[in-house]
Amino acid sequence: MNKYLLSKKLIINELSTFYSFLIGLSIGITIGSIILLTQGQNPIEVFSLMLKLSIGSVKSISSSLNKATPLILAGLGISIINSVKLWNIGAEGQIFMGGIALNFIYISSEISNPNLMIIFLLSSSFIGGAVCILFPAIAKVLFGVNEIITTLLFNYIVIGLTVYLVNGPWKDPGSLNFPAAAYVSKEVYLPTVFGRLSYGFVICILCTLGVHYLKEKSVFGYELRIAGGSALTAIYAGINAKQKAFVAMLIGGGLAGLAGGVELLSQTHRVSTGLSQGFGYTAIIVAAITGMRPFGIFLVGSLFGALTIGGSVIQTMGVSSYISDVIQATTLFGALIAQFFFTYKIIRVSEDV
Amino acid sequence: MFDIQLMGLLNATLQAATLLFIAALGELITEKSGILNLGVEGMISIGAVTGFMTAINTGNIFLSVLVGILSASIFSSLHAFVTVILKQDQTVSGLILTILGLSLSALMGKKYVGKKLPVKIESVFNIDEPKNIIEVFLNQNYIFYLSIFLMIFTAYLLKKTMFGRRLEAVGEDSKAADSMGLNVNKTQFIATCVGGGFSGLAGVYLTLSYVPYWTDNMTSGRGWIALALVIFGGWKPYRTAIGALLFGFLEALVPRLQTYGFELSPYLVKITPYAITIIILIGLTIYKGGRTGAPSNIGIPFFRESR
Repeated sequence: MNKYLLSKKLIINELSTFYSFLIGLSIGITIGSIILLTQGQNPIEVFSLMLKLSIGSVKSISSSLNKATPLILAGLGISIINSVKLWNIGAEGQIFMGGIALNFIYISSEISNPNLMIIFLLSSSFIGGAVCILFPAIAKVLFGVNEIITTLLFNYIVIGLTVYLVNGPWKDPGSLNFPAAAYVSKEVYLPTVFGRLSYGFVICILCTLGVHYLKEKSVFGYELRIAGGSALTAIYAGINAKQKAFVAMLIGGGLAGLAGGVELLSQTHRVSTGLSQGFGYTAIIVAAITGMRPFGIFLVGSLFGALTIGGSVIQTMGVSSYISDVIQATTLFGALIAQFFFTYKIIRVSEDV
Repeated sequence: MFDIQLMGLLNATLQAATLLFIAALGELITEKSGILNLGVEGMISIGAVTGFMTAINTGNIFLSVLVGILSASIFSSLHAFVTVILKQDQTVSGLILTILGLSLSALMGKKYVGKKLPVKIESVFNIDEPKNIIEVFLNQNYIFYLSIFLMIFTAYLLKKTMFGRRLEAVGEDSKAADSMGLNVNKTQFIATCVGGGFSGLAGVYLTLSYVPYWTDNMTSGRGWIALALVIFGGWKPYRTAIGALLFGFLEALVPRLQTYGFELSPYLVKITPYAITIIILIGLTIYKGGRTGAPSNIGIPFFRESR
């Protein structure tokens, strides 16, 4: 009888994550096609329409990149938190909290210079996101409470708070049936670079470079990796692992909050339950699929932004927009399966010996 | 009058608790083997939608329950395949199982939104207005009694049977279990699929009894509360049941607070169960001083070095 054993490969191809992603994407598209076929649609027709509407023109490319912006920002935040081996499932709530904090500051302050005001508002959205993760971070660092559950439960709390605000204190009488807060003034809209592309994407590029530097090149990033490794190593190295974890969580939450702020100032222009359409959850896929690499998050986030735009426009064809969620999720599953073959080799041993 | 309200509250508590408890019990079995499955929310959705679709098309309750359980179990085998056989990260795989389950069930159930069920899981003894606690208990449906049986059965299974001891051995120290000749992969794979089946049952209970219709994302975080319940119960079936009753009580009480004369915003009231869950989790972790009763090997893939 033969038995199969696994052995970790000593040398793992540096581009294995990238190849795994490509394999995963083809699996995702295949499964998406099968689902489309079962719904009586022609996959080639649907996908070519999706391509055309997401990257076919300057206008559609800029919409895709705008859509990618919150995914990338929240994904970067998740990757920072993951460098101390912690998970942030609460990006969705932090995005909303960023929007809420921004609107709160917008209502209660007066700055005559619009540019200064934009910077001030975006900073407040960053702080809002950080405040949103503060409680789970304290619970984790002081008492060791599982951060996956607490950050996730905070999503429901913050979204509940949003619903309360837009139906109650912040309700704009002008928006008739759809509960939403009042629009912010045009002066504080984020300007566009060209076409529809918002300056939010520029912020996104800067943050990608910043997070790459922070994680890979800075002393702080090195300390984060040690803190996320063995507890003993951190003690020998004189690193306060808990303090590093705490700071990493606040920065990560803040980036997700900033995603909400940018989305508000560039796209929705007001607080409503439509501020985030599951960006926080998609950002987890984006971050995980790239092995938490900032540049990877930037590329995959852009692609998923295009996929989301494509997914939302094919709704007019009677295809559910959930199809793009399914493609994204199966892409990650496919990538996980492919990753196995890059990291392990299967050895066959004979047991009869 | 007050009595009827109180009995209504008790009834709603038991119904909410049943759903949470079944899902939590399944996750408990999975986690005992050292596999963390964060996909509970997705598995409940899959069970809920497939059970609902079967009920609409066939009108056969028994078949619907069976289909719900089996499809969620098959769906969870994806997690088992990726984490047990391919040794990939359990957190990532579980999260994606949730996202995939929610979106896949929304796709499948698209044509069923707003449809009326021809059949519903009936209560065993039909009592119009339960007047005392006993009548409330008798007024529950079959799945409620099944969940009590499952609780006793699981507690027995874990403590007294070979399967339970094997599960615990694998979850506590998979390397030692392996050298004792246990098949770690097989045990973990089975435990994950059994957990998926339980979630499927919870899903069927959701769409065929608790709220008898189908909409997208109707699980609304209950899968995550089930995950918290496992921690709350310290990986023990009876304690998990107490936790489920407590959370069920909160879910039932909150919408009733206003009828009792409390002036509260309904939107803010909705978030209290989630907030209380977090506070209880923190209190519990402090109280136990880090000794939560979690299986030592949870989340760590078992990997046998080649010899």
